[in-house]
Amino acid sequence: MDITYVGEHLWAGNTGNFFIVLSFCGALLSALCYFIFSQNEVDNASWKSLGRIGFYIHASGVLGIIGTLFYMLLNHFFEYHYVWQHSNTEMPMRYILSCFWEGQEGSFLLWTFWHVVLGFILIFTSKNWEGPVMSVVALVQIFLASMLLGIYVLDYKIGSNPFLLLRDVPDFANLPFLQNENYLAKLDGRGLNPLLQNYWMTIHPPTLFLGFASTLIPFAYAIAGLWKKDFNGWMKPALPWTFFGVMILGTGILMGGAWAYEALSFGGFWAWDPVENASLVPWLTFVGAAHVMVIHKNKGQSLLITFILTIITFILILYSTFLTRSGILGDSSVHAFTDLGMSGQLLVYLLTFLLLGIVLIAINWKHFPKPETEESVWSREFWMFVGAMVLSVSAFQIIFTTSIPVINKIFGSNIAPPTDPIQHYNSFQVWVAVIVALLIGLGQYFKFKKTEMNVFLKNISISFFGSIIITGLLTVILDLLSVQQIPYIVLLFSSVFAITANTSYFISVLKGKVKLSGASVAHVGFGMILLGALISMSKSEVISRNTSGVDLEKLGEDFPNAENIMLVKNDTLSMGGWFVTYNGKKKEGVNIFYEIDYFSKDANGKYSKDFTLYPRIQVNPRMGNVAEPATKHYLGKDIYTHITYAELDEEKEKNPEEYKKARTVTLAPGDTVFGSNSIIIFEGLDKNVDKTKYNLAEKDIAVAAQMRVVDVKNNSFTARPVYSIQSVYAVPFADEIAELGLKFIISKLIPESGKVELEVYEKNSNLKEFIILKAIVFPGINILWAGCLIMVIGTVLAIRHRLKQF
Amino acid sequence: MKKSHIIAIIIIAVAIGAILSTVADSSTYASFAMAEQNSGKEYHVVGKLEKDSALVYNPQENANLFTFYLKDTEGTVKKVLYHGTKPQDFERSEQVVLVGKMKTDGFQANTILMKCPSKYNDGKPAEMKEYKAES
Repeated sequence: MDITYVGEHLWAGNTGNFFIVLSFCGALLSALCYFIFSQNEVDNASWKSLGRIGFYIHASGVLGIIGTLFYMLLNHFFEYHYVWQHSNTEMPMRYILSCFWEGQEGSFLLWTFWHVVLGFILIFTSKNWEGPVMSVVALVQIFLASMLLGIYVLDYKIGSNPFLLLRDVPDFANLPFLQNENYLAKLDGRGLNPLLQNYWMTIHPPTLFLGFASTLIPFAYAIAGLWKKDFNGWMKPALPWTFFGVMILGTGILMGGAWAYEALSFGGFWAWDPVENASLVPWLTFVGAAHVMVIHKNKGQSLLITFILTIITFILILYSTFLTRSGILGDSSVHAFTDLGMSGQLLVYLLTFLLLGIVLIAINWKHFPKPETEESVWSREFWMFVGAMVLSVSAFQIIFTTSIPVINKIFGSNIAPPTDPIQHYNSFQVWVAVIVALLIGLGQYFKFKKTEMNVFLKNISISFFGSIIITGLLTVILDLLSVQQIPYIVLLFSSVFAITANTSYFISVLKGKVKLSGASVAHVGFGMILLGALISMSKSEVISRNTSGVDLEKLGEDFPNAENIMLVKNDTLSMGGWFVTYNGKKKEGVNIFYEIDYFSKDANGKYSKDFTLYPRIQVNPRMGNVAEPATKHYLGKDIYTHITYAELDEEKEKNPEEYKKARTVTLAPGDTVFGSNSIIIFEGLDKNVDKTKYNLAEKDIAVAAQMRVVDVKNNSFTARPVYSIQSVYAVPFADEIAELGLKFIISKLIPESGKVELEVYEKNSNLKEFIILKAIVFPGINILWAGCLIMVIGTVLAIRHRLKQF
Repeated sequence: MKKSHIIAIIIIAVAIGAILSTVADSSTYASFAMAEQNSGKEYHVVGKLEKDSALVYNPQENANLFTFYLKDTEGTVKKVLYHGTKPQDFERSEQVVLVGKMKTDGFQANTILMKCPSKYNDGKPAEMKEYKAES
């Protein structure tokens, strides 16, 4: 049956599909022409221009896809699955960018877009390298463009098309609402996940994907170098790009950490989550690659390692894409994507480039120039090389553990990830960090060729002894003095040493020459990141401890001391030196904000309000209710507050006078139970019941339970619920205490023991609203953020310096 | 021996160490029966929430204790104790992964990973959410 649908904008999808085909064909043309141009030794400028034209066609295709998709999102064309899935009419327009890259197709587009931008820069700057380098870039673009094709080749689906109509999606095809020709009139989109409606989602993905994209350029240069057998020349233009990529990718990763810390409830900025690991690992090898490139530039050594690290970095980016997008991490990660059926394609993509790299290295290896002399142990290169190797080993450990689900898939094994991943990674990576920090501190003082021993010792001794003193002081201040903390004390020393040694190098050796100081500044930043991470992680303190006097830890190791605390509305509790009050909540859109005041008490016992935090809960139909923390930032520490549980029972608020579901208690005479506002005492049974009051016949049996209730102000109330047996039927009569909102009904008598089974009802208004929260103090986390900033500045200086040498 | 060879040997040794430490730290996806046999050891147990049995969370009494019943993949039902707050929307969870060990009074979970079906997700399992108890 054919339905003629009303109001669909089929032209938009057709335009989009045209651009997809255009971008794919453009990339093909470009790769082919650039390849022919690069293979031929004779100068043939026409192939080069054709290669460029192909790339321009590809670029206009990519821009066309992006433009069309934006147009569709802006105009709410919900007949398209992608638009329906990621946006709706209620959503604020400022999140339109987030909608665009929320889905996999959109994030692939973002990645492709950055490759296009970088490709343009290469066309105009790579000079003689243009042919081979752009061949590689265009080849990568063929693969990326194919990710959007969404066509079937022999039953195998290639790519996922963002211009698919909702009614063409298999899961929707037979839904009844699509039988209505006018279905669009009533259709609204599913909308952007509220969890992602924040500014992090606007800035984090583009930065991270630019970082991903920037690994392509050193890779393309390395492949070009192998291909054209110019084993050294490629590094000079590739080096600034490598620094650039290290900076952007690092920023992107740390932004992810900052997002997790500020807006998600990870309880820290780094959780060793597989998705986080997947982007950290290529960064580590990238940093390694940057350093061996510098060694090679200075000494002509470590050529093989330079190729391997540069190529593996790009491969690891592809691997990380595979891990996060194939659904393989499903059981082990909090934020892995679900499978779009493209894992096979991603794998082909990954293996193609891996194979390309391996084959090219294998063919050329015996032609690599071999340095005649061995590197001296007292040269800077030697230790830079060791550092790069340490980073590689660190990357290996992380990726190996993260790949456990992949190992299970390949070997059919059933291994689960470590039960305590943070402990697992930290116990290894702390030592990596120690070695790296020491190398960072020492490295600069080694000369590039040969080091004079006494000069070296003289230079290093000030920073060395200074660091020992600072470490000693910090150990005492931070209260780290114990055997278990030894790794942390060592790391403390080495990160402090990295900072002081590089600062002193900048002052005494470089004499403050800013343009040469890139490495020193970046290394100071890196040392600060380590120091900040160390202090904030090891000294973070959960202040929302159980203050009710019950120390659960005494019950044994299996009863960890409670980290969550209950806060009843308008009550005040002492918490980590503060007094906290929960003042109530207010609803704004999908968010419920909880107002929490922090007070401190001065010497005279006077309370003053320090700050107010508004942690919130998002009522999120897609992900369930999600709590977002709120954090108070001081220079020296952060106070992080997070609602871990709150009752979102609206029924209760609407009908305060209604009784809540009863609880049943069995009481012997003299027993007491606690109500939310009173103590309830069962005094005993009383057979002396006024039967006329309950319309009972003389022969009926009736018993009253004598209840005494004492409220918080010590006022006493009584209640007499009655239990009667009228012929064979048991009929209870309730009794209420209106002042306390209490009601009692006898549900059963146990005559032998004189016990009674009683239903106790309380009014909704009796039960005060409460929240459960967790609060953590993170000291020194600003050292980490400042370190990030300084590292970025240092890298910019290094790039500027390298570009000048061009 | 050349220095590069020494470095290579050290790197290979450390890499093997890394693999061994991963193997040593790694856990196993297990059933309750297996966890019961090795009650001191931590396991990952996958199962479904028994929605008909009691989910107990009384924050007024103890904000850090949540108990429920889980049916593992072999069909065994066990009581689970989790020392933390009740995860939001726990009732809606479709599949639950617990990390913890078996004790006499039930399975002591340190971490709860849950998969929620979402209203609009066409019945496919949606994003995982992780809850970590304090230990």
